[in-house]
Amino acid sequence: METQTSSDTYRPTKIFFYSSLVWLVIGMIYGLILAFKFIWPNFLVWGPLQVILQFGRIRPIHTNMLLFGWLTMANIGALFYVIPKLCRNQLSFPKMATFLGYFWNFIIVVGSIALTMGYTTVTEYGEWPLWIDILVVIGVAMLAMICFSTIANRNEKQLYVSLWYFMGSLIWLPGLYIIGNLPYKLLSGVPQFLIFWFYGHNVIGLWFTTVGVGLIYYLLPYLTKNPLYSHRLSLIGFWTIATFYVWNGPHHLQNGPIPLWLMKAGIIPSVLLIIPVWAVLANVFGTMKGKWHAVAHNTPLKFLVTGAIFYLITCLQGPFQSLQGPSSIVKFTDWVPGHAHLPVFGAFSYVAFSVMYYVLPKIVYHNIYSNRLMETHFWLSTIGLLLFTFSTWTAGVFEGFAWIEGAQYGLQFVEMLTAMQPFFWIRTVGGTLMFVAQIFFIINLYKTIQLGKKSQNTNESSA
Amino acid sequence: MSGFANERSMFTYVIGASILFLIGVFGTAYLPFYDDQMQAPNENAELRNYSVDSAEYRGREVYIREGCHVCHTMFVRPVLADSALGPISQPADYYYEAPAMLGSKRTGADLMWVGNRWNADWHREHLINPQKILPGSIMPRYDYLSDQDMEDLIAYLMSLKPSPQTEGRPVN
Repeated sequence: METQTSSDTYRPTKIFFYSSLVWLVIGMIYGLILAFKFIWPNFLVWGPLQVILQFGRIRPIHTNMLLFGWLTMANIGALFYVIPKLCRNQLSFPKMATFLGYFWNFIIVVGSIALTMGYTTVTEYGEWPLWIDILVVIGVAMLAMICFSTIANRNEKQLYVSLWYFMGSLIWLPGLYIIGNLPYKLLSGVPQFLIFWFYGHNVIGLWFTTVGVGLIYYLLPYLTKNPLYSHRLSLIGFWTIATFYVWNGPHHLQNGPIPLWLMKAGIIPSVLLIIPVWAVLANVFGTMKGKWHAVAHNTPLKFLVTGAIFYLITCLQGPFQSLQGPSSIVKFTDWVPGHAHLPVFGAFSYVAFSVMYYVLPKIVYHNIYSNRLMETHFWLSTIGLLLFTFSTWTAGVFEGFAWIEGAQYGLQFVEMLTAMQPFFWIRTVGGTLMFVAQIFFIINLYKTIQLGKKSQNTNESSA
Repeated sequence: MSGFANERSMFTYVIGASILFLIGVFGTAYLPFYDDQMQAPNENAELRNYSVDSAEYRGREVYIREGCHVCHTMFVRPVLADSALGPISQPADYYYEAPAMLGSKRTGADLMWVGNRWNADWHREHLINPQKILPGSIMPRYDYLSDQDMEDLIAYLMSLKPSPQTEGRPVN
């Protein structure tokens, strides 16, 4: 038994996938606690929990756990499966890849403990203290080494479009992580805040987005059994996202204390981002041609296409809200968390769900246990997300106009919050549905893994 | 799809992706440090340049530890939605801010000039039980803070005032 598991070429992918599911559940529980605290500020204020689950301390735990525990681990697991497939070889340094799985879990655990104890650098999505950031950089360096070495030793000459995106992401992630997490006492003021948002925006755009798009390009031809629609579009998409995305940070200081040239330097590329997004979507829709009927009964494809559409909506909404006028109303309101959940949950978690439904049967040698559970997962996630986003967007617009009418602090501010309670309720219901959906997801994968083990055992005994 | 010779080398992608990234880093993360507006502190910045052994400095550490910046911005814009918050934020105001806490979400009110708004007793009562002072508030109770932490935090909040030099700055 022991020798069998150590010779399993998919072991790194399994460790990353299975761990990511644990962080998905815990991270979403933190999210739900936050949502309930909007309704009952004294929710779970009980003994030591008052401090341990205090809103200001757990909000970064929620974001870091889901970004780096769930989605990053799901992405790395996928990279470790997809890259060798596209290179027609084996993963380089498999032992290091396995070690990285445990190491990454250790980082999430100590990071969450540090945040619970109130050690934070304030950098959004990079709140972990410096010594944990150093561990992350070491981990990312190992990841890049494993992946680049696998690609360099490939048996397939041609580099498929997914590999461009993966190579780009693996260069950008260490770069932006180091710049974004420089010791925070070293810098100060508005330029430092610009670096915070250089990091905050690019970790979404040059890691989660670009790995996610690479995975869309990998999966879509398999799930539709159509060749990729346009090679040229994928070229345009890759080079334009590489050019424009990195400039997006300053739009987080729209109308703020920054010089005009910088505001323009931030907003113009934000609007131009429509080019790479549309290039990806045109390619997706082109590839789907003649295969739309398959979406009805192919749940992984349904997740993938819906994820791509959520990606489009996010990237039409983002440039809009970065403009001076819309920003002066919705910035700082609940609109923002609505927008933030759309790419991270709607677009790229959907891609990760699709990847897991596609990859897991291939690595545990058993079909997904239940189609009905997959469908339940899809519909509860989607209905939950739509309730969540539309309630926060609506609340955000109301809040923005209430501020314009003078409800900016004190009793008037609180009256505005009271009026928002129905929306906070809808958000919580949506979040609960999103959470319950993941329980069905995990049960389904667990059953699949168990059945895979059982059938492998019977194969061995009959042989 | 097999006819693209230039897509057989990793070199193009590695170099291209690195260069485009570094150009963006230069523009948005490096150049701002050298903008004239970012170069010098003003009196507001001096007021917020606390010495390490002051109550305000310790209070700011409490503010960071409890994650107040998660729900409160310090960022007054020249827009109608911020018209009652006080003088508009200037880059020079933040000269010594490390880490900078301009914020991204206003679940509670902006605190850029909160020192002008209430007095220390109000803050104490409000931090111990926000709902008592502002019925309907969703701010957590901070009744678990030690007396020292509480007084330091109040000292910090009360120090967030504009200097007289700022009085003439437009508020809308």
